[in-house]
Amino acid sequence: MTVVVSASAHTLGVDEAEQTVLAGSGGAVLQAAGLCREYGTVIAVDGIDLSMNEGEFLTVFGPNGAGKSTLLGMLAGAMRPTAGSVSVRGKPLLSSDTDWRHRIGMLSHKGFLYGRLTVEENLRFYGKLFGLSDLDERIPARLEQVGLTQRIRFEARQLSHGMRQRLSLARALLHDPDVVLLDEPYTGLDPSAASVLRDVLDELKDGRRTVVMVTHNLREGLEMATRLAVQVAGRFAWEGDNQGLGRKDFERHYHDVVEGRA
Amino acid sequence: MSTYLTQVWAIVWKDLLLEIRSRERIAAMGAFAVLAGVLFNFSIDTTTTRPEDVAAGLIWMTLVFGGLLGVGRTFHLEAQDDAFQGVLMSPAPKDAVFLAKTTANFALLYAVSLLVLGVFSLFFGLNLGQNLGWLVFVLGLGSLGFVALGTLFAAVSTGTSMGETLLPVLVFPLLVPMVIYGVGTTTRLIDGRPFSEVEGNVRMLGAFALAALAAGAVLFRYVVEE
Repeated sequence: MTVVVSASAHTLGVDEAEQTVLAGSGGAVLQAAGLCREYGTVIAVDGIDLSMNEGEFLTVFGPNGAGKSTLLGMLAGAMRPTAGSVSVRGKPLLSSDTDWRHRIGMLSHKGFLYGRLTVEENLRFYGKLFGLSDLDERIPARLEQVGLTQRIRFEARQLSHGMRQRLSLARALLHDPDVVLLDEPYTGLDPSAASVLRDVLDELKDGRRTVVMVTHNLREGLEMATRLAVQVAGRFAWEGDNQGLGRKDFERHYHDVVEGRA
Repeated sequence: MSTYLTQVWAIVWKDLLLEIRSRERIAAMGAFAVLAGVLFNFSIDTTTTRPEDVAAGLIWMTLVFGGLLGVGRTFHLEAQDDAFQGVLMSPAPKDAVFLAKTTANFALLYAVSLLVLGVFSLFFGLNLGQNLGWLVFVLGLGSLGFVALGTLFAAVSTGTSMGETLLPVLVFPLLVPMVIYGVGTTTRLIDGRPFSEVEGNVRMLGAFALAALAAGAVLFRYVVEE
């Protein structure tokens, strides 16, 4: 796809030379080329190119129905693109080769949790599916990270929404993935749960992970990101580096982009 | 233990643990088996019909219909919180997922099939004595073939708008050979005939179970992947 660098982007101080259209660049951790996804006559994702290096944190904003979750689903290998391809560390996401699955962790709208299994059982189950052998050390560490150590014996269905979200995050990070995909992680969280989640996401910015987050939450999305994109009607209508844009400035720009004024 | 077996066992353990805690499927299948036994007991006039002549057919029909109740819901617990998507996004091979789901279903259905055998032998006054072991073995083979096909098609039907309604329509035609060989074998064994007389039928049941397992392991990925 072609990144649309609008006049507004310039006014926000985004240097055109720094616009990151890196498809095909060497050393990228996560790459997507010409990614398309159609549902019948509806085009959810329309030719997105993306290239992300180690340590980058991309937040994708966009209105409902822009195809953000579909994009994330394809980056996670959960959805097959109608056209285009995704690769992780240069290896295409082929269903026959499961190695790349070790490198991706995803936090979706849904938690992928079993309500009748305890917190520990859920993590142990997924740990075994990922072939992890050090679960006795890994599980307590992850639970401590998300603040659920005290709930280890609780069944997942007994947890509040915020706690389930944190457990889902622990599940997504259990195998220490290189690429972390987050789909609306702040949805339905109270300020306290959002704060815990923010702390965990901050820890992901350790320079060796690549993160793509889809969110409506401008404040959280801006705070975390090193790169920003606005997806409209299946395309990245704008993208650029996050150079400390203020929320209000970005909000104004976001609305301009979404409404086609920028 | 190899990673493959660890993955298979993790899913089997998880499915059985969920079943133990919810008792959703085993209760439905068990209740159906007992009620079917009671109803058939009253519907057969034993003064004109020898129970040994009809018991095998009724046992297999109860097994098939009762089994559908459980196997049809294989992916329902998975649907909550989209948990199955998490399994599919893990590195576990799809054939390992299929074999694990089939194994867990087999454990449930085999338990129910033994219950069915017990209920019918009680209500119909069957003397299973000398062939009890072979009957248990034959029902095991039948259960295995049934759950292999049932698990595959449960995955197909779960993804459709018709859901469980579609499952019998898909599965029953394919179960015909299994029911033919199963009923024939069971009738003779209940009648006290020697095993050598049904050995060919048992081989066919085994072949059916293996073919269903192999087909399921190969085709499952095309059913569950987009």
